[in-house]
Amino acid sequence: MVFLAKTKSPDEWKAVTSAISTLVDEATFEATKEGVSFRGMDPSHVALIDIHWPNSAFQTYDCDATIKFGVRVDEFSKLVRRADKKDAMEVTVGNDSMLHIKISNSYRKEYKMRLIEGSSSSTPLPKLNFNSKVVLTASAFDKILSDVQVVSEYISIESKHKQVQFLGKGDSGEADIIIESGSEGLEELDVQEESKGTYSLDYLSKITKAVSTAGGSVAAEYSTKMPLRLEFRVANIGRIHFYLAPRVQD
Amino acid sequence: MGICKEESEEKVKSFYYLIYVMGLDLKLLVEPYPITISELSNKIVAVDAYNAIYQFLATIRGPTGELLTSTDGDVTSHLSGLFYRNINLLADNIKLIYVFDGKPNPLKLKEIERRRQIKQEASERYHEAITEGRVEDARKYSQATSILTDKMVEESKKLLTLLGIPFVLSPSEGEAAAAYMTKQGTAFTCASQDYDSILFGARKLTRNLTISGKRKVPNKKAYMAVEPEIIEYERVLNQTKLTHEQLVDVGILIGTDFNPEGFVGIGPKTALKLIREYGKLENIEKIKHLLSDIPYQEIRNIYLKPETPKVYNIQFNEVNYNSIVNFLCTEKNFSAERVNAAIEKLRRSISHRNQSLENWFS
Repeated sequence: MVFLAKTKSPDEWKAVTSAISTLVDEATFEATKEGVSFRGMDPSHVALIDIHWPNSAFQTYDCDATIKFGVRVDEFSKLVRRADKKDAMEVTVGNDSMLHIKISNSYRKEYKMRLIEGSSSSTPLPKLNFNSKVVLTASAFDKILSDVQVVSEYISIESKHKQVQFLGKGDSGEADIIIESGSEGLEELDVQEESKGTYSLDYLSKITKAVSTAGGSVAAEYSTKMPLRLEFRVANIGRIHFYLAPRVQD
Repeated sequence: MGICKEESEEKVKSFYYLIYVMGLDLKLLVEPYPITISELSNKIVAVDAYNAIYQFLATIRGPTGELLTSTDGDVTSHLSGLFYRNINLLADNIKLIYVFDGKPNPLKLKEIERRRQIKQEASERYHEAITEGRVEDARKYSQATSILTDKMVEESKKLLTLLGIPFVLSPSEGEAAAAYMTKQGTAFTCASQDYDSILFGARKLTRNLTISGKRKVPNKKAYMAVEPEIIEYERVLNQTKLTHEQLVDVGILIGTDFNPEGFVGIGPKTALKLIREYGKLENIEKIKHLLSDIPYQEIRNIYLKPETPKVYNIQFNEVNYNSIVNFLCTEKNFSAERVNAAIEKLRRSISHRNQSLENWFS
């Protein structure tokens, strides 16, 4: 056995695989003594996902050496979805180039999935300073995105010291949502410098829908005309960061 | 009995040779490796302008080999090639600099005259073929008839400017200046079909950059894929085990633009063997009596110490979309639909590029 990771529920794997599936078809995970990580960009390099899942978050974690394993995300995701909420899940990589997924509750089922050749290249992280930070509950954030998406393909986020404004403009009309500090759903607003950035709603709502089923909250950090970083604060996964390049107006 | 409708295989073949292998025949001595266009992304490429435009004039033609024209009868094949090809390269974020020929070296006049004659002959055969209804032959001969006029050069420069592509004027050969730009590091590679660039010391030569992805196989009703390829100076010297000076001598033996005849009975393989054995032209016993007729020292200097362009104030500019549509569609009767579709493609790729996270790496 090269790698073994056991969780009490499939929720974390579901969040991780569906998050990754919004960007790529094939994913290479890296497992070390410290935990499991993934980093990758979509083909047009507009968005990046950076995941680190520490060993402490697992019920059982066993990995002696650093290994990389590649999977087809949709296949992996399909198998993970065969587990019910209360099923414990054990993911292992053996010496047979297969990924083993054991799902157990009242009875046991085991899947074997063929691994694919992993990518050897590593993805860098963008170097950024953030002037604004907006923390919302995942459900509030998801709702705001859907509200704006009714009229627009893009969302502008404008943060001031006491309020944050979400704006969208499309052929059919405009959307304008203002949330003041202290409002329900807004957990934190930290503005070092007033900022405004515009981002693609397509990317944002896909990733948010994929991860927010796991609940928790979302921290959005950005600066004017700079990339946005979403941090999905999901119980039991150390870090899910999503970077998105700003939309540059013509 | 009956009239032979098609020209002899041999004759047509020799015309193909003239069209595609004008310039030095180094093909056997170099080993190119294929690249994809996107590998040149973000890199500066110095394009041999005349070479590219001649390619467009030779290949962008109608079914019987007629050039594309506006309703006024002005030739537009060169503009069509420059527009559609460059749009694609710009969409891949390749930074292009076109290098135009200046005054030809007097030694090239002989070659220029030889090409003029080929064109004239091809032109006569083309008209014959048209009159006799031999469409396939007409198309073949037409490709060797291309003449680049001052007007076409000016129009090409105008279109490049509208595309935001800078161009420089070489004091002499375009490929010499393009090669020089790769030597001093301004450009990553030069682009030409002509192997001469390597003799001029180009660090990298990209072939098949400005021609489309398919080329007709001579005399067959088949097409072969034409992929861009790179030839590296270092690699050529290493593989042939020659110095730059010796490579130029090999070129002179085979025949360059400045001594197109070369030496009777000496092809690429023999030339390589002779220079490897004797080190340089002067030491080759069997050609000693012929050498005095050839200004080989001057030819060596053309390649080894070419005149280099002095002014470099190169700026990659924005694309002027509206003026392009005006020029091509209003003045030259291009299909507005096709031109707009190509422009839209470029626009999308540029706005996409601005959106990429790559701007924040490093």
